[in-house]
Amino acid sequence: MQTVVSIIDIISIIAIPSLVLFIVVYGAVKKVKIYEAFVEGAKEGFNVGVRIIPYLVAMLVAIGIFRAGGAMEILASILSPLTKLIGMPAEALPMAIIRPLSGSGALGVMSEIIKSHGPDSLIGRMVSVMMGSSETTFYVLAVYFGSVGITKTRQAVPAGIVADVVAILMSVWLTNIIFG
Amino acid sequence: MLNYIWLALVVIGIGVAVWSDVHDLSTNKYHNGEYLQASIQNSPSADSLSSRLESYPITLVIVPADFNSMYGTNIADMIRFTAEIFPTKRRSDEPDTYLPEFGGILHIIVNDRTPSIWKEIYKLQKNQDFLLARYIELLRDPRNHRIKLTLDPVKFVKLNAVTNDGIIKYAKTAVELAIALIGIMALWLGIMKIGEQSGLVSKLGSLLKPITTRLFPDVPADHPAMGAMIMNISANMLGLMNAATPLGLKAMEELNKLNKKGGTATDAMCTFLVINTSNVQLIPATVIAIRAAAGSASPTEILGPVIVATIITLIVGVTTAKLMAMLPMYKRQLTGLE
Repeated sequence: MQTVVSIIDIISIIAIPSLVLFIVVYGAVKKVKIYEAFVEGAKEGFNVGVRIIPYLVAMLVAIGIFRAGGAMEILASILSPLTKLIGMPAEALPMAIIRPLSGSGALGVMSEIIKSHGPDSLIGRMVSVMMGSSETTFYVLAVYFGSVGITKTRQAVPAGIVADVVAILMSVWLTNIIFG
Repeated sequence: MLNYIWLALVVIGIGVAVWSDVHDLSTNKYHNGEYLQASIQNSPSADSLSSRLESYPITLVIVPADFNSMYGTNIADMIRFTAEIFPTKRRSDEPDTYLPEFGGILHIIVNDRTPSIWKEIYKLQKNQDFLLARYIELLRDPRNHRIKLTLDPVKFVKLNAVTNDGIIKYAKTAVELAIALIGIMALWLGIMKIGEQSGLVSKLGSLLKPITTRLFPDVPADHPAMGAMIMNISANMLGLMNAATPLGLKAMEELNKLNKKGGTATDAMCTFLVINTSNVQLIPATVIAIRAAAGSASPTEILGPVIVATIITLIVGVTTAKLMAMLPMYKRQLTGLE
């Protein structure tokens, strides 16, 4: 397993430099004016960053209100009868709720659970799988759609929520059958 | 849909905060305004109290029974605090009778042994490094100096949190995140431009033609959007978040060029979004790093379930998006007959 960790380390270290190198060299070989092309493309970077600000503020403030007001705990207590039904320990529920809303929040909850229950406990493994198998849906929605000014999101939100629910259910189920 | 979610987050968030603050107030959870007896050890002498010094270090001792009966805790040992005492100044020309009860302010130092309810109040008071309390003298014998103290009241805890931790902090965070994205965004947009002009991006797009044309039937196979989407998905798979977001935004920009109705998401965009929200990640590097740091015997053992869960999520998500695209309510938004 140690080798797997080090292979992963190596991949994540070399991936970006080699990708940059490859594209630049390929461009040069194809006689692209690489420097000019780069600058021309990069110019847009600022605009994209600024363009997503209102969408990101709207989304994060709403999520911030929801978290700070303690609504998360109330939601957890409402949903707690369901956890037994699907084989989820009650302690893992906050993770399931926060995962689509806040990436840093989910990371905090995961680290906390891993610290208190141990990384190799069932619940420690379960939150690890949850973290790895789903994404901060609402952040992605705000940033991606915000960058092109889209407010009518059609089926993206319901489909994204369905995907989140499936990710949580699969994480619980797979953890229970593999490690349970 | 986002309108309703946004409304729900804001209304429920603030509603719960109000409800819980009212509940705390009506049950007086933090025992605001209630007095607790304590004795002071190594108290300053009566002479020094009337001198010009403003504060004195003392040790505060509270009998556990008193503390337990107030907060309903279960503490067995004598509770000791290091504190600083700020007696209320009396001018020498004022008669002793001017203040019926002599008292002042206490700064109680919080440490690991502080009872958790006081730690909580300390956090809520938001004073830098002490718990603020007021005291009234009961008995001022240097050998048996007794006072009663009350902590500075904490009220509307959740509503304060909503204002400071929710609204103000997150509005700031949002801008910081966006600004932080600018540099890395510029880098990848520049690199992508090179890839576009050299034909690499469209080549990449046609490489996975059989899959991509099925996933995104509305997008021409050699369109730059295809290449950008493939690069975004590859970066996601490798767990390269720094590259994935800029590449994804580039793909969105390209997809938007095919969009006939600005401001409305196309089917391809929705499918692409769902692929991104299901986190197609072969190497969850952050999770593995946290597990390794926490001393896991096998930090990577979660790889198998993560990959299986991700793939199933992806299939269900994309299928849902595709099926929902056929619903009249969503179709109508795109054709503009709304």
